[in-house]
Amino acid sequence: MTPATLTIRVWDLPTRIFHWLVAVLVVFSIVTGKIGGSWLEWHMRSGYAILTLVLFRLAWGIVGSETSRFASFLRGPAAFFRYARDIVGRRHRAVIGHNPMGGWMVLFMLLLLLAQASSGLFADDEIATQGPLAVKVSNALVAKMTAFHYYNGWTLIGAVFLHVIAIAAYWMAWRDNRVAPMWTGRREMDGDGTQPELRATWIAAVILASSAGLVYWLVVVYPRA
Amino acid sequence: MKKSALAAFVVLAAAAIPTVAQQMKAENQVKYRRAAYQLMNLNFSNLEAMAENKKPFNKDEAARNAEFVTLLSTVPKGFFGEGTDKDTRAKPEIWKNRADFDARMDKMTNEAAKLPAVVKTGDTAAFRKQVHDVAEACKACHDEYRAKQQ
Repeated sequence: MTPATLTIRVWDLPTRIFHWLVAVLVVFSIVTGKIGGSWLEWHMRSGYAILTLVLFRLAWGIVGSETSRFASFLRGPAAFFRYARDIVGRRHRAVIGHNPMGGWMVLFMLLLLLAQASSGLFADDEIATQGPLAVKVSNALVAKMTAFHYYNGWTLIGAVFLHVIAIAAYWMAWRDNRVAPMWTGRREMDGDGTQPELRATWIAAVILASSAGLVYWLVVVYPRA
Repeated sequence: MKKSALAAFVVLAAAAIPTVAQQMKAENQVKYRRAAYQLMNLNFSNLEAMAENKKPFNKDEAARNAEFVTLLSTVPKGFFGEGTDKDTRAKPEIWKNRADFDARMDKMTNEAAKLPAVVKTGDTAAFRKQVHDVAEACKACHDEYRAKQQ
C-alpha cells in the first residue's frame, strides 16, 4: 500500500515574492552594471530595491513564517555533513523548508547581496556617477568600497551559478522539482509531514514598508542633510 | 622669415608637444594626466547631473562644463609614455596594445568634442544622449586598461 501524501504549504507569499523579485532584480543589476552609461541610474535604482528586499527578508527571517525563520533552517555542522552524506548516497529525507546545506547557502547569498547593495551606496565610477553616500566618507574609503563592489559582484555571480546548478541537480539527479514549490508554495510530501505555521501577509507588508522607508531615508534624505 | 618656413615651424612645434610630454619624467606625466582626468570628472559629473534631471539644465553652466571637458579630453593621450604605469592603475596592456588604447582614447576625445555644439542647441534629449555616449567611451577604456585598485 503506497503511503499517503499531503500537500503542504511550505513557502508563504512574502517569501516567494521576495525570491522571484530579487532574482529578476539581481540579473537586471548585473546587466545594467556591465553596460553602464545611461543604464547606471537604473542599476542604482535596482540596487536600492534589492537592499529594501534583503532588509525585509532578514527581518522576516526573525519574525516570519516558520519555514522562513533562520532559526528553523540554520543547522549545525553535524546536521550539515549528515545531510551532505545522505544526498550523495541518495538517501536524504525530504525537509519541509530549506535543508541544512541549502539553508546556509540562503544566508550566504543574503549577506553577499547586503554587502553588494551597501558597498554600492559608496561607490564611484570616477566618470560621472557615484552612490548617494560617497560624499559622506573619505575618498580612500570610496575607492575601497568601489573595488569591493566590483570584486564582490563576481562572487555574487558565482553564488547565483552555484544556486542554479544545485536546483538543476535536484531535478536531474533526484527528480525533485524545487522550482514549483518556490512558485506555488505547495509541495507534495509523505504523510508524516506537519503543516508549518505561516504568518499573515499583512505583517510582511508592514515590515517591507518600514524597510522601504529606511532605504528612502538613507539614499534620498540623509545625503542632503 | 619666409611665410612657408614660419608655417612649417609652427606645424613642427605643434607636433612636438606630445613628444615633449612623453619625454617628461614619468612621475610628472602621471601627475598632469591625473589632473586632467580629475578636472574632467568635476565638469563632466555636473553635465551628468543635468542629463539625469538631478539639477535643472543651465545652458551657460553646461556650455562652460562642456568646453572644459572637450579641451581636457585632449590632454591624457600624450601623457602615457613608457614607464608611466608605475604606482598607477594604468595596466601594462596599454603599451602592449597601444593601437587599441589610442583608438579608445580617440573615441573618447571625439565624443567629448561633440558636447559644446549639443549644449548650444538646447536640445535636452540630444544632450542627454551625448553625455551618455561620452560616459560610455570613458568606461570602454577604463574597463580594459585601468586596474580596479592600485
